[in-house]
Amino acid sequence: MLSFLLAAAALAPANAPAAHGADTFTLKAAHLRLYGNKVVDGGVVKVEKGKVTYAGDAKGAGELGPDVIEHAGWASAGLVAARTWSGLGGEGLEPKRPFTAEARAADVVALGHADFARARAEGITTMVVALSPANVASGITTVVKTDGETTLARDGHLQLGLSSQALRTNRFPTSYTAAIELIEAELAKPTGVWERVSEGKLSVYLDALSRDEIQRAVALASEHKLTGALLRAPLAGELAGEIKKAGLAVVVGPFGPGEEARVLASVAALGRERVPVAFGLESPTSPEALLRVSAAMCVRAGLDPAQAWEGLTTTAASVAGVGARVGKLAAGCDADIVLWSGDPLQLTSKVEGVFIGGVQHESKGGAGHGGAH
Amino acid sequence: MAAATLAAAGESKDQTSWTISAERVYTATGKVIEEGRVTVEDGKIRSVSKGGSGDLECYAITPGLIDLSVRIERDLASIEQSREITPEKRIADALDWFDEAWKREARSGVTSVMINPLERQVVGGLSVVVKTAGESAQKRTVKADSALYGAIGSAPSQSNHPAFGRPDDFYSRRPTTRMGVEWEWRKAFFDAAMAREDKNLAGPGTLELQKALAGDLPLCIQAWTTQDIRTAVFLKEELAREGLGKLRLVVDAAAEAWKEPELLVRSATAAILPPFNATGRSGDGSFFALDTAKVLAERGVTIALSGHGARAASERLCYQPGHAMRGGLAFDAALAAVTINPARIAGIDKRVGSLEAGKDADLVLWSGPPFEATSAVIGVLVDGRLVLDPRTQNK
Amino acid sequence: MRRTTRYALLPASWGAAGPGASALLAIPSLVAFGIAALPSLVLGDEPAATPKDLFIRAEQLHVRPGRVLERGMLWVHEGQIVAVGTDIKLPEGAVVIEGKVVCAGFIDSWSAFALEPNAQFDDRAGPATRAVDAVDSYVDVRHERALLAAGITSVRLQPTVGARAGGVGAVLRLHPSKSFAETTVIADACSATAIGVSRGDGRALDVFERVSAVDRVIGAIADGHAYLVETNEYRHELADWEKKIADKQKELDDGFKKAKKDREKAQTEAKDKGNEFKDKEYKEDKKPKAPRFDEEKEIYARIAAGELPLVVEVHRALELRALLAGTKRFDRLRLVVAGASEAAQCAELLAERRIPVIVWPVPMGVQRAPEYRGASLALAAELDHAGIEVLLGSGAMDPLASRDLPLLAALAVGHGLPRETALAALTTRPARVFDVADKLGTLELGRSADVLVLDGDPFAATTSVRYVLSAGELVVGEVKK
Repeated sequence: MLSFLLAAAALAPANAPAAHGADTFTLKAAHLRLYGNKVVDGGVVKVEKGKVTYAGDAKGAGELGPDVIEHAGWASAGLVAARTWSGLGGEGLEPKRPFTAEARAADVVALGHADFARARAEGITTMVVALSPANVASGITTVVKTDGETTLARDGHLQLGLSSQALRTNRFPTSYTAAIELIEAELAKPTGVWERVSEGKLSVYLDALSRDEIQRAVALASEHKLTGALLRAPLAGELAGEIKKAGLAVVVGPFGPGEEARVLASVAALGRERVPVAFGLESPTSPEALLRVSAAMCVRAGLDPAQAWEGLTTTAASVAGVGARVGKLAAGCDADIVLWSGDPLQLTSKVEGVFIGGVQHESKGGAGHGGAH
Repeated sequence: MAAATLAAAGESKDQTSWTISAERVYTATGKVIEEGRVTVEDGKIRSVSKGGSGDLECYAITPGLIDLSVRIERDLASIEQSREITPEKRIADALDWFDEAWKREARSGVTSVMINPLERQVVGGLSVVVKTAGESAQKRTVKADSALYGAIGSAPSQSNHPAFGRPDDFYSRRPTTRMGVEWEWRKAFFDAAMAREDKNLAGPGTLELQKALAGDLPLCIQAWTTQDIRTAVFLKEELAREGLGKLRLVVDAAAEAWKEPELLVRSATAAILPPFNATGRSGDGSFFALDTAKVLAERGVTIALSGHGARAASERLCYQPGHAMRGGLAFDAALAAVTINPARIAGIDKRVGSLEAGKDADLVLWSGPPFEATSAVIGVLVDGRLVLDPRTQNK
Repeated sequence: MRRTTRYALLPASWGAAGPGASALLAIPSLVAFGIAALPSLVLGDEPAATPKDLFIRAEQLHVRPGRVLERGMLWVHEGQIVAVGTDIKLPEGAVVIEGKVVCAGFIDSWSAFALEPNAQFDDRAGPATRAVDAVDSYVDVRHERALLAAGITSVRLQPTVGARAGGVGAVLRLHPSKSFAETTVIADACSATAIGVSRGDGRALDVFERVSAVDRVIGAIADGHAYLVETNEYRHELADWEKKIADKQKELDDGFKKAKKDREKAQTEAKDKGNEFKDKEYKEDKKPKAPRFDEEKEIYARIAAGELPLVVEVHRALELRALLAGTKRFDRLRLVVAGASEAAQCAELLAERRIPVIVWPVPMGVQRAPEYRGASLALAAELDHAGIEVLLGSGAMDPLASRDLPLLAALAVGHGLPRETALAALTTRPARVFDVADKLGTLELGRSADVLVLDGDPFAATTSVRYVLSAGELVVGEVKK
């Protein structure tokens, strides 16, 4: 009996806050990634009732309080995936109707789905659940945390599809012209979700693939003063100037081994032109681990590492419209913190602990451990 | 030497002022200047005169070629197929400005093109005339809404099928035959004419059809075979007879016009001919005789030659006048058929189509007499910018 | 009224759009400048001339994993490594390049780069198909440069990935201006086969098919072994037969005079007695019959003899155990396992038999092929911990994935594989397993130099490769005289 208890104690992660009741503690990490390229050695994060009250060096931290967690590796804000299909259970597409602007991902997503547990294991704490690109107006995205219970924003963006995948040959619309006419007709006499879009209260996600599709999407956004981001847009870097002028961001990825060099170079070009870049996923179809792999591959292709880190955190959070709450370790933000074995920008590091809202969550079961679902 | 010309080539990307000298300058105004020189300033032709040397040299200069029938759009995604009559749709919205075909056309001497909607639609929509090279989409557009385009023949009915059994998509509709295609045309114009009186009969595209009936918007109908050309002409004559309107009819791809040239003489404004080919067997089951251009020109029909979006090098526009001349067409008429004639048909002759002071500097530089099999296009300027640099070409 | 041109506001610049609407690989600078502005960039052009004497200085010189020289130096003279150390005296005007980390070029143990596209998945090819025949000599040199710029200097190529009979693999060096015929390091590196691999054709193999596949492989090795024995016996028998004839001939030659006299005597005797004289006839033994030539058995004979290692792609523990049990009796067989997603379950068996394992450390989604169900990024670390020799490869599915092998290796390191082991898995281990350890894998005297000069940890995303030497020539990076 005693040996069982001892064994059980040995299995408990050494870093777990020992029965600290509410989500209040202080974290001391050997290295703290704050934002951009800013790394603080011997950093401290103070968490009170699930919110960060201080994040910085040990000197400015003052009293550390009773509950102190020491971590010998790195700590950072939880990663934000600006696009994913996690939690939808394959229900993200209404194939018969091309125009389902009022359909909400929030109505379909299962917050407790195993997809989110896998995402947590990769250090992702916030995700924008988007819909299929195969519709001209697929619906409204939602922004959730991967803790199985929190919705950050019920309505994230109106997702519009302007790629050839949104068109069909056997149902209306079959042409780009008609697709754009549909959208413009709605914006001319906006009701419902369109009203919020035309008033600037809701941003859009514009899915486009080829360069002429990107051009059409950017023209649409410019003309109607839409805010938001392009999705996918593989060679967007070759149109970086136009995208910058339109004030749009780009959600790129996911990229895996063997991705074309020209596409990765395009991301680097976007970075150089200061177009905000965020990384996205197509999970669960592709693995959640690709979020950081995409960032690493873009860095190798020339993207500034600071911009790559922002693309995983702050920029992705602001594209998701929740930049005030998540994406960085700063006073007032949610205590979504990930403990890493090394620098999270490097693929040689892995997740060692995940806190969401100051509460530690199970973070095993990602690509590091076998077993498909 | 090579390094110097390469260096020069690199620097001249934005240069829009040149002097080009040639042994012969074919202005397409009827005048040919021997030992001539064209001066270009800021993208426009400043003067065409005799004598003098130039930055660029060649054997002959012609105006930039104009092709009224080119395919550089996004194929099926560029036409809205849920209806067969879509006069209000613009092909300009579906252009792929990144297509390699622009470079191909420009480097073979074609400087302005009219892009038409696909012939899969009975009435596909509005065509647009653009330059094949330039800085921006806006600057390259020469004339928006240049013509209302449609087709008569078997192409518009091809993807439709009769509703045997349960229709599972919208292709289960008329027209499925040539008769049905003609019915669609007549109904569209009839309804548009009726809508002048009764506004309730108006729908999307009525405005464009009414403009065509008024003669303000040229109507371009693709009709290859002689019976289809006849149908197009009869359509125009019927509408005129009934007092519904007077169409300005241009027949595109009029391959079998040689069979009944009187039709075009009496009722068509112009004819655009498809590319000549080795066998004469052309689109929609037609036979395109080699002397078609000569026959029509003799009868006074305004003709324009075209490449009709062909990919094969021998079918590009720069070779068509040569084929037409082998069929008997005179050189001057052949030159006109690829320069000033298409410019007039498209209504852009104030800007392009001939070498005259004040017009856009769209020029083609040849290594020998133009359109001969032994001559090559060694230089092309579009709006004064070098698209193909003669200094880097083998002469 | 709608405005006419949609793109009134947008430039659509022609010159700045790189080569073609179709997705082509391009060096990043081409995107910014456009091909027209770089007339000197000719595809496949010669790299800048390599200096005759090149000195490479590194803060950390990895001669081989486990042997690191701090502030080490390397002297490459006419392409060969002639000195390695910490205190090499530089002559006047020496060309020196510096880097933070210098190590041997990486070898991708499981690659499909430069394979002719039809050869990659051709099911009809047999074990005698050779990788050197399936190589695409006209592979886009930009792809080759991309791999070199990532640090991959050699690859093991196998025709017919994932097929039952994989053909004879080769190890090739990458060099942008040399043909693969010139840069083949070893044309007969190994043979390959696959068990229970579904290859994305949607058809999941049922367990009976997979187990019978194991039996087929073992049977093929057994046939090969029998063929080997037969061939050896034939050789011995042939030698015996020839020796017998030679001996007899010698015997006859030696006793010729006596035999002649005896024969004449016998002839006259017979004549006297009135008998017929018969000459003694010497009948040869029947010539031993050579075993019928079978190219498949030839290859498996070489495999059974241990000449060619056999790389078996197998994932499930069931098939792996069956394979190991069935091949135990072939004591000369050199087995290498690839994939091995569930190998952790029989790690001790693999460690005991000293069987190397090629791991593809790639993250996989839920829609992975059924054989990868047990795959995880921690596999390399788990197997290494159990004492198995782990090699790393890029999976041989996507030809360009070889470029990202260092990032995949980083993932394996992140999940527990020691850095030094990962480095070995990319250099010395594949060199040893594929019998090219005398040419590749380490920075030692007398080698033709395959060297990487990096500005940081080879597995870090922020590291870039500054210089690469392949077969002694500078193929990435330029030196000023």
